[in-house]
Amino acid sequence: MKKYYPLVRTLHLYFGLFISPFVLIFSVSVLVFNHAGFFDRLTPVKAIPVERIKLDGIPRDTSDLLTAKAIIAKLGIEGEIDFISIKEDHISFPVLKPGLRTKIEVDTRTDSVRISRQEEGTLRATSYLHTMPGQHNARLRGNSIFLKIWKLLADGVVYLLLLLTASGIFLWWCLKVERRLGLAAMALGVLLFSALLLLIF
Amino acid sequence: MPTTPLAKALNYWNRKLHIHIGLFLLFFIWLFACSGLLLNHSSWKFASFWEEREQTTTLTRIQLPAPLDSALVIRQVVRQLGIAGEVSEIKMTLDSVDFRVTVPGYGRNLHVDFRNGLCTQKAFRFNLWGKLRTLHTFNGANKTHPESGPNWWVTTTWVLAMDGIALGLLFLCVSSWVMWYKVRREFGWGALVLGLGLLGAGYFVFLLRMV
Repeated sequence: MKKYYPLVRTLHLYFGLFISPFVLIFSVSVLVFNHAGFFDRLTPVKAIPVERIKLDGIPRDTSDLLTAKAIIAKLGIEGEIDFISIKEDHISFPVLKPGLRTKIEVDTRTDSVRISRQEEGTLRATSYLHTMPGQHNARLRGNSIFLKIWKLLADGVVYLLLLLTASGIFLWWCLKVERRLGLAAMALGVLLFSALLLLIF
Repeated sequence: MPTTPLAKALNYWNRKLHIHIGLFLLFFIWLFACSGLLLNHSSWKFASFWEEREQTTTLTRIQLPAPLDSALVIRQVVRQLGIAGEVSEIKMTLDSVDFRVTVPGYGRNLHVDFRNGLCTQKAFRFNLWGKLRTLHTFNGANKTHPESGPNWWVTTTWVLAMDGIALGLLFLCVSSWVMWYKVRREFGWGALVLGLGLLGAGYFVFLLRMV
């Protein structure tokens, strides 16, 4: 087992260093989710003055998503289209980037567009990233390049985190002096884990 | 560079805590990693839960309190039905009150009719995959009233546990940087790897909204 120690240690160190900033995003965002009221007071959302633009025709495409994409391309706006709401003479949809929410409202009778933006800040950017791609609107999700990349990164981080837990156990087991205390720490963790699940279910 | 006794002690405890906090959090990390993957891959057939949910509807006669205050009615109904959970989505009218009582993987939508004293309970129960998913996001947060925290003590306990796990993970990250810094000559690529990670994460959190 000892002969694998240097290799496992090297992998644990490099993979750990690479994913650590992403794990920080996930960890900080947990605190933001759990204490939304506090963080709302700490960093309130800032509304940016509304912009009104008249387009020379609303680009129509074969699907709602493609139409929405064509509209934001015409407006020079980039981001992830969250969902699309289409009414008789209205198309509206939010375009999101971590920390910035842009709402596009198009009046199809007059070709006028109302653009409202909210600067949500860095902390909300972490919570947005934490929830993405998520379980909702799977059909639409990943319509921007950044979210496609983030999706891969988020998955990669989780797989590497699982690998790190395995390599961490291996490295700990090789350190004989830490075995007893390590077993106690693990047992305590299992105890708390089981107690919490029993309490909930 | 000479190492002071304080730096030595800090390094010693940093390494020790990195190992043991990591081991302590092991099962929590597995739980949140796996449930996170499930949430991001709703198309995974083996983990489908929505179609497999069990649904039941029951009707129960309820003793209503004299002043029809929503909090009082909800407390009374929950007590009489012998149920517990996070209460949300309360809608009160002159004739009725609607609310939801949730436990991860098990939800009850309740409708109490004040005119006939009947409580209609529509319950849904998820399988293990559904329970895992809902556990990941279960924090009693109210989107419309973020100031109001959880209203069930078990949710509060779970939220505290999630906070603790998040802080533990923060510590594991920072302690790993300290540990690498100590052996940076031996692991020279560490600066590049950490730099890449920081650059990638920083781009998403700080830069993306500016471009």
